Amino acid sequence: MRPNLDSLVPAYVREFEPYIPSRPDPELKKLYGCRRLFRLNNNENPLGPPPAAQEVIRRFPPPQGAVYPSGDSYYLRQEIAARHGLDPDQILVGNGANEVITFVIKAFCEKGDNIVTADKTFAVYEWVAVFSGIKARVIPLKDETFDDRRMLEAVDGNTKILFVCNPNNPTGTYWTKEKLAAFLDEIGGERIVVVDEAYCEFVEAPDYPDGISLMKEYPNLVVFRTFSKMYGLAALRIGYLAGDPGVVDMIRRTCVVYSVNSIAQEAALAALRDDTDHIGRTRALVGQGRNFLREEMAGMGLPVIANEGNYLIVRLPGSDTLAYRKLMREGVMIRPMTGFRYPNHIRVTLAQMEAMEAFVAALKKILS
Amino acid sequence: MSLQTTPYLTLTLALSARADHLAVVMSFVETSAAVFGLGRPEQGKLLLATEEIFMYLSGVVCPGKDLEVRLVNGLYYVCAEFRFASPELDLGGLNITSTISYDGEADLQQMGLLIASRSVDRLSLSVERQRVALAVTKEKVYPRSTETLPSPEAGEGTAVETPDRERLKRFAVLARQALPDPDRPSFLDYPGKLVDMAAAGDCQVLTAFGEKKDIVGGILFGHRTEKTVWCCGPYVFSRTRQAETAAALLAACIAKIARTKALGLLSLSGLPEGLRADFEPLGSLTFRPAEGPPVARPFFYRHLHEDPVCEVWTHAELADHLRREYDRLVLAREIRLLTDMGEARSGRSLFSAEVNGERSEVVLRPELPGADYAANVERHVRFLRGDRYRNLLFELDLGVPWHAELVPALLHNGFHPAILLPFAGHSDLVIFEAHETEP
Repeated sequence: MRPNLDSLVPAYVREFEPYIPSRPDPELKKLYGCRRLFRLNNNENPLGPPPAAQEVIRRFPPPQGAVYPSGDSYYLRQEIAARHGLDPDQILVGNGANEVITFVIKAFCEKGDNIVTADKTFAVYEWVAVFSGIKARVIPLKDETFDDRRMLEAVDGNTKILFVCNPNNPTGTYWTKEKLAAFLDEIGGERIVVVDEAYCEFVEAPDYPDGISLMKEYPNLVVFRTFSKMYGLAALRIGYLAGDPGVVDMIRRTCVVYSVNSIAQEAALAALRDDTDHIGRTRALVGQGRNFLREEMAGMGLPVIANEGNYLIVRLPGSDTLAYRKLMREGVMIRPMTGFRYPNHIRVTLAQMEAMEAFVAALKKILS
Repeated sequence: MSLQTTPYLTLTLALSARADHLAVVMSFVETSAAVFGLGRPEQGKLLLATEEIFMYLSGVVCPGKDLEVRLVNGLYYVCAEFRFASPELDLGGLNITSTISYDGEADLQQMGLLIASRSVDRLSLSVERQRVALAVTKEKVYPRSTETLPSPEAGEGTAVETPDRERLKRFAVLARQALPDPDRPSFLDYPGKLVDMAAAGDCQVLTAFGEKKDIVGGILFGHRTEKTVWCCGPYVFSRTRQAETAAALLAACIAKIARTKALGLLSLSGLPEGLRADFEPLGSLTFRPAEGPPVARPFFYRHLHEDPVCEVWTHAELADHLRREYDRLVLAREIRLLTDMGEARSGRSLFSAEVNGERSEVVLRPELPGADYAANVERHVRFLRGDRYRNLLFELDLGVPWHAELVPALLHNGFHPAILLPFAGHSDLVIFEAHETEP
C-alpha cells in the first residue's frame, strides 16, 4: 500500500520546491550543442585550489578511503582557531556552508519563530527556514545593500536569527565595521546575528570588517566562512562557522558528525597553510575581469552592479532566463537572477580573460 | 450512509451509487449549496446537473459502488464533486460524449454528462491514483459594477502593496473603466467576485499606489498548475509614469513567486508592449466568440529559473513541429519518439472535458489510454460541435509517453498544435485547437 504522503509530510515540506541542480557539463554541452562550456554561474575560482591543497588531493592514499574521517575535523579546527586566536571548540566545520546554515536554524528555531534576512541575497537562509517550518522575513535591499533599519523594525518577539551576507551575494555590497557594530548594539543579546563571510577573502576595502574579531564583544555573533570560493574547494564541500563557546556548544547539538570527508579536511588545512599567494593571484584575476566587464558592458549600454566579490550583475534589456538559454548555446553558463528577485539581471563570475571575452562575444551575439 | 464536515468549507456525503439514494443526494446538495450562499436559480441548475450525474453514475458507470459526494464552498462558486475508486471499472462511460443507450448510434439527448454540463459553468474530470473525481461547478451571481471613478494621477513615487478588500473593489472598477473588453478578464466586471476569488486564494492582486494613495495600477496572478503561474496585466490607469508603474508591478509579482514551486509565469492578457521583452512569445490561440470575428489570444511566458531541461515524448507526426518550436524558444529537450512494436492495445480511452459554457469552450485532456483513440476523438469533435461548442482545445502532456499516441487521431480530426507551454504538465504541454469551420 502506498504511504499517505498528504498526512505523513508536513505542509511546509510538501509546499516546498526541491532545488533542481543543473545537469553535469557533458550533458549540458550535448543538449545545447556547444563544444566547450565556460562556467560563470557559481562563482567558482578558475585557478582551482591553492597548489598545496592540489598536492593533498593528488596524493591522497586510496586505502584511506576505507577509513572514517575525523568526526569533528580536529586538525582543521585547531588551525582555524590558532589563526583567529580562538579556542578550537568555537569552530564547527560542515559539509559546505549550506550545512552550517542548517545547524544554526535547527539549533535556535522552533515552530512559530522567524528569521530576518534580505530579499535579494543568498537564497539558502530563506530556503532552510521555510522547509523547516520557520517563517522567513525578507527585507528589501536599500541601494543594493542590506537595510539595517528595516531589518531591526522587522524583529519581533519570535525573531531568533538575523542573517547578513557580507559582502552580499549577489550585489557585492557590504556593511562597514561601524555599521555592523551599531547593528549588533541595537540587536542586543536576545537574538543570534549570523554574518556570512563566504566572499570575505575577495574584499580589499580597508573598512570591511573581520566578523570573527567582533565575536568577543558580541557573543551572539556567529560567522560563516567557506572553502568553496577563494580556496577553490567547492567540489569537496567544506565550510565552517565560528562563535562564542556557549553558542557553538548549543549549535553542536544539531550538528551531524562525520559529514566532512577526509580529503576535504586535509585540503582545507593545506589551503590555509599555502604560501604561494593564491589569494593575491586570485584577486588580481578577479580585478582584471571586473574592469574588463565594466568597460565592455558600459560600451554596450548595459548597467552593472559591480562591488566586492568575484562576481558582478548585468542588467539586460529583456528576460534573464531566456538570455541564460541563449548563452548556453554559445557555451557560456551564467546565473539568471529572477530567482534572486532581480528579474532581467544576470550574475557573472569574474574569471580568466578567455572566459570573460567569450562571455562578452556571446552576449553581443544574443543581443544583436 | 454518513455525513461529515471537513475544514476548508467542504461537506461530504458517503453512500452507494444506487438510484434509490437520489433523493438523499439531491437534498444534501440543495441544503449545502444554500448554506454556502448559492442563489436559488443557481441552486436549481446545480441540482439539475447533480441529478443527471448521479443517475448516470449509478446506472452506467459505477452502479452499487461506494461514492462520495462533496460540496465545496469556493466562496465565489459551489462545486459538487462525485468521487469513487476506479479499479475494475470500465471508465469509458465517463467520456463526456458517451451515451447512456446501448443501441449503437447515440444522440445528444442520451449523453448524461454532456446534458449535465449545460446547466453549470464548468464540468471537469480527473483520474488520479485510481480515484475518479467528477466535478460540476456553479458560480454565484454578483452585481455588475456601475460606479465610475476619476482617473488617478501617479505623481512621483509609486508603492506596490496587497490591497484590502475595499481597495480591491476600487481596483476592479478602475480596471473595468480603463481596459477594453478583449484585454479584460470578465471577473473584473464584478468587484465582489474578485474579492471572493482573492479570499479563496485563487488569485492574488497587487496594486500600485500613487503619491495621493490613489490606485494607479494593478496585476493579478495565481497558480495555473503547481509549476505555472498565470498573470493578467500589469494594468496601469494613470496617464503618467505608465512604464515605471507597470515595471514595478511586474517586479513585485515576480518577487512574490520567485522562490515558490513555480517554474514559469504565463501572461494571459494585458501585457503592455513595453514589457514584452521581459517575456517570450509562445504563440496564440484563436478564440471564436458568439458574434464577430475570431480573436487571437497571444500567450507570453517567462521562466523564473534556469530551464531544468526535460524529456519529452512525441509521435513522429509531431516531431518536426516540436523541433522547430524548441529551436525557436531555445529550449533544450530530449525528444523521445514513440515506437509501435506491434504490442496489443485494449480498452476504451478516457478524456476529461472541462466545459466552459460561457466561453463556448471545451478543453479535453487524456486521462486513460485505450485502443480507440481515432474513434473517441472523432466522436468528441462531432458531438461537441453538434452541441454548438465553438472552441475545442486538446491538451497533450509531453511528459506522459502514452499521450503521444493520440497525435495522429488529433491531426486527422482537424486539430493542430497551437502553442507549447513549458512545464505546464509533467513536462511541457502542447495545446491543440480545432474550430467549427475546420473539417
